Amino acid sequence: MSDIKDSAITVSDVKIRYRMFKKISLLKTLLAPYKYKKTEYFEAVKGVSFEVPKGQILGIVGKNGSGKSTLLKAIAGIFSPDEGNIDLHGHSVSLLSIGVGFQPKLSGRENIFLSGLLLGFSREQINEKLDEIIEFSELGDFIDRPVKTYSSGMYSKLAFSITAILETEIMLIDEVLSVGDAKFKKKSYEKMKSLITNADRTVVIVSHSSETLSKLCDTILWLHEGEVKMQGACEEVLPKYEEFMS
Amino acid sequence: MTKKLRFFTDFKRFFNYVVFAAKAELKSEVADSFLSWLWWFLDPLLYMLVYSFIAVVVFKSGVKYFPVFVFLGLNTWTFFSKTVKASVKLVSAKKMIVTKVYVPKHMFVFEKIGVYGFKMVISNLLVVVTMIGYRVPITWRVLWIIPITLVLIVVTFGVSTIVMHFGVFVEDLLNVITVVLQLGFYLSGIFYSIESIGKNIVGRVPEPYGSLLVKLNPMALLITDLRRVLLYAENPHWIMLGAWFVAGVLMSIVGVNVIYKFENSYVKVI
Repeated sequence: MSDIKDSAITVSDVKIRYRMFKKISLLKTLLAPYKYKKTEYFEAVKGVSFEVPKGQILGIVGKNGSGKSTLLKAIAGIFSPDEGNIDLHGHSVSLLSIGVGFQPKLSGRENIFLSGLLLGFSREQINEKLDEIIEFSELGDFIDRPVKTYSSGMYSKLAFSITAILETEIMLIDEVLSVGDAKFKKKSYEKMKSLITNADRTVVIVSHSSETLSKLCDTILWLHEGEVKMQGACEEVLPKYEEFMS
Repeated sequence: MTKKLRFFTDFKRFFNYVVFAAKAELKSEVADSFLSWLWWFLDPLLYMLVYSFIAVVVFKSGVKYFPVFVFLGLNTWTFFSKTVKASVKLVSAKKMIVTKVYVPKHMFVFEKIGVYGFKMVISNLLVVVTMIGYRVPITWRVLWIIPITLVLIVVTFGVSTIVMHFGVFVEDLLNVITVVLQLGFYLSGIFYSIESIGKNIVGRVPEPYGSLLVKLNPMALLITDLRRVLLYAENPHWIMLGAWFVAGVLMSIVGVNVIYKFENSYVKVI
């Protein structure tokens, strides 16, 4: 890159351990007190560092269990790293995910507020975008009916519309979503693409598909068993990854 | 950022969500039923009728204003026990949210306090109506229900956060808590008076155990004091109320700190 841009995400030497907290049962512990003392550790991310400049699109590849989703969740703040640091430089962040905190018995409209407030937006911000969300979701009159009456397609359409239209400065995407019928799929893909390619938005996408990533991303981070195996431009990393996986 | 500050910034940030979520939960509870929100009144009303029957016909108690006496105890206890019980499995109940977005987990306890607090307010409106029916003389001491309710909320929050934390890791905690709450129900003097109040009421627990129980069981203390200020124009036990307020704040600080420390691993367990 020729011009120096501000960083949006700085990940420095992040380690994430899964403490194998087994659920304990008081009764079992009373009956066999020595069985449950061991805590095992499993390190899912073993000291990863990278930086994402503002406006860039980073793809993360790696085989199953390489720590991609764990890392993404840590960036989203769902849990913090055990060691190291993740700095978002004050940018707002959201993990694009389906149907966060829906109450099935309430109407779609009320669930937009519930979801939006949960994602950290104010009531005014949601109100502003309300019509756009409803329109994009193509739900029509169904928006005032309880969510439990929705078909699974309608449910995902609403969920996608909420997260796609209530935009944040950093978007994290775990597998590119494709929801609804063929027409909505195309529309949601287009919407996602326009969200992603917005110059101010920083995006991190986790995916298995090299094809999707090469179409959308600027740079690729290849994780292998919790460590960075390679980092660089798509053309550089993806062929090597393909080769490695085959 | 220090932990203390974090609690307040988190509270401010998620307050709107908590209010909306509590409303949503209340609404969805009655969304399907024919009488809808009328159930918020009918539910406590019907319970009160049942307990009035038991109080007046079965127990034939000599306690002055006995039905009101029972309702006050019952409403306060129900608020406490339901919030605590709901907290045990609260994190796994919110699995859909917890695995997808960061929410300080103790905010869910505030949501439950909102839900059961609303129900307690409605039940207590019915208590006011009953009090008017019995022509209970009112003094300025009724104002003391404000500090008493504050202590109730603080103690409930403190106990609930601690219980919520252990509920994530201990599978059968709910069974234990249910039994402990059942015991608590009988030790909080809901159908009887633990200690003597004024000239009207004779305590059923022999001294010194009666005063000891009121001091050591915060629910017994709160229920007794609510009755003292509302029904019998007596002052509450100020010193013990103050002590339990401090204890409640300490429990809350411990609970919230433990949650902040361990909530990382909640997602990995559930």
